[in-house]
Amino acid sequence: MLATLDHRLGDRIVAPAEVMGDTIELVVRPRDLTDVMRTLRDDGDLRFELMADLCGVDTGLTMQVVYHLWSPLSSDWVRVIADGLSRDDPRVPSMVHLWPGAEWAEREAYDMFGIEFEGNRDLRRIYMPPDYLSFPLRKDFALADDASRGTGAGIRHQEHPIAPAEVRAQPVIRTSAGAGAMLGPDGESLAVSAGANPEPAAVESGEEPA
Amino acid sequence: MTADREQIRSLDDPEVMVQTPATIYDAIPPLTPRTEREAEFYELGDGEMFVNLGPQHPSTHGVLRVVLKIDGEKIVDLDPVMGYLHRGVEKICEYGDWHHAISNTDPLEYAASMFSEALPVLSAERLLDLEVPRRADYIRVLAWELNRISSHALFIGWLALDLGGLTPILYGFAERDEIVEMLAALTGQKLLFNYMRIGGVNGDVNHEFLSRLGDWMGRAAVRINDQATLMNENEIFVNRTKGLGVVDREMALQYHMSGPPLRATGVPYDVRRAHPYSVYPELEFDIPVRTDGDSYARYLLHIDEIKQSLRIIDQVLHQMPDGPVMAKLPRLLRIPPNRAFAAIESPRGQYAAYAVSDGSDQPFRFRIHDPSFFNLQAVGPLTRGELLADIMAIMASLDPIMGGIDK
Repeated sequence: MLATLDHRLGDRIVAPAEVMGDTIELVVRPRDLTDVMRTLRDDGDLRFELMADLCGVDTGLTMQVVYHLWSPLSSDWVRVIADGLSRDDPRVPSMVHLWPGAEWAEREAYDMFGIEFEGNRDLRRIYMPPDYLSFPLRKDFALADDASRGTGAGIRHQEHPIAPAEVRAQPVIRTSAGAGAMLGPDGESLAVSAGANPEPAAVESGEEPA
Repeated sequence: MTADREQIRSLDDPEVMVQTPATIYDAIPPLTPRTEREAEFYELGDGEMFVNLGPQHPSTHGVLRVVLKIDGEKIVDLDPVMGYLHRGVEKICEYGDWHHAISNTDPLEYAASMFSEALPVLSAERLLDLEVPRRADYIRVLAWELNRISSHALFIGWLALDLGGLTPILYGFAERDEIVEMLAALTGQKLLFNYMRIGGVNGDVNHEFLSRLGDWMGRAAVRINDQATLMNENEIFVNRTKGLGVVDREMALQYHMSGPPLRATGVPYDVRRAHPYSVYPELEFDIPVRTDGDSYARYLLHIDEIKQSLRIIDQVLHQMPDGPVMAKLPRLLRIPPNRAFAAIESPRGQYAAYAVSDGSDQPFRFRIHDPSFFNLQAVGPLTRGELLADIMAIMASLDPIMGGIDK
């Protein structure tokens, strides 16, 4: 399966497919995403036609959209990470034309992270009220009563609208190497660190790379 | 002074009284559509009107609002409005430690909370690569299957209730009550069990649980058959479910459906077999599949699954080994930076979690995938062109639980 994936996807994946437990992991650039997903779904040897999950992840440095697929041919899941979305303006192509059911999941990721799915015709908030301004699951959205994480100096009021320029100035409370980010916020360069599990020290500074 | 008098007189003046309401209604500004699809939906065609279903309609199994666009009795389009039960569980999980996540995810699927509370447990165990004592695994399976039966029994009752039949819900609740009493003896709780633990379960099976279980097992199969006969041969029930809300294989896959709605279309995707966890590989059971894809097939599938669950419980009781029910773990659980996807087959489909850890004792990201959310999404394409009264039948046959959908 790994060899087939590497062969079919070629240089459209950032690193060779990797097995993590019972999941095969692929990291792709946002611009290759549609192409990769279409191959995974339609290729006769792969047929990953059931999307088991779609979610956004804020790694603290970049944004990701993580897809999990299942194929009737194998018992493995495939995890596709669309890596390296900038936190200022996260954009990724929508999967609605391949899986119409991605619509609500994308609406949820938009509601929670502000990720713009280009091509989704109904990208509005799904849980929060329509006049809400923030994106609650982002790492720079601190809960007001979070007294356990330091002095409270960097904690804003929840409903403070965040201008993109301000985002960089705000300290990011948490980052994680566990999310497997491999690309920088421009979605191209191998900026954060190479390898599937970057060293924790590389990202603990809590600052975005220039 | 004169102005007051003027006002008082104007209130007595019948003409003024008639005119006031019109000005009040005019004051509400029209909704500005935010997306292309919303603009399209809120544009009324000739002879069409909006009907608001909910937010607290009993047929919606929770607090859901559905804006229906109808033409006579035909549904032209619909726009579900969610978020009434949104608590931000994923965010709350990031602010408590891994153990807190168990009680936070507990109320998500309130009809079968053994499943939703297993999510942080299974994902943490995957992240830690932790071996769970075999007895704990067997007890988990026992609790899951019992909870599945109670949830399915309720589903059957709810479905009939939404179609106007009052009797089956009483049978459903009678069944559920027995199981809930049993689980209360095991866990101390009747609704939100908070029983799963990272590395095992909270306490071994006890005498009261086992005696209640043994008592119930003797008549469970008969009772399920009774309930099935009551519904299978009811002409009104069959007429209102057969051939209605038909999902085909393509659509089920495109809409990420899982659980009985997916298996009713012929796709044998059950996480217990497709991606085994716990001790399911050691147990003998079938994955019931049907090919009709309509409400009736989904209902029959629930009956089949109850029978399989009884089979599993029987085997678990015979095979359960002795031993501890908790793995040895430090109280402060720090999980090294990693990511894992864990899924479990809940009564409504694949309940999954994508967990990212950052080396601290708190989850860094805890994504919860609720099957009802995706099954509910299919209500739109399923009900377009159907009659207004059938939206209840179709929605009930998909069995959504709003607690999990709104998170």
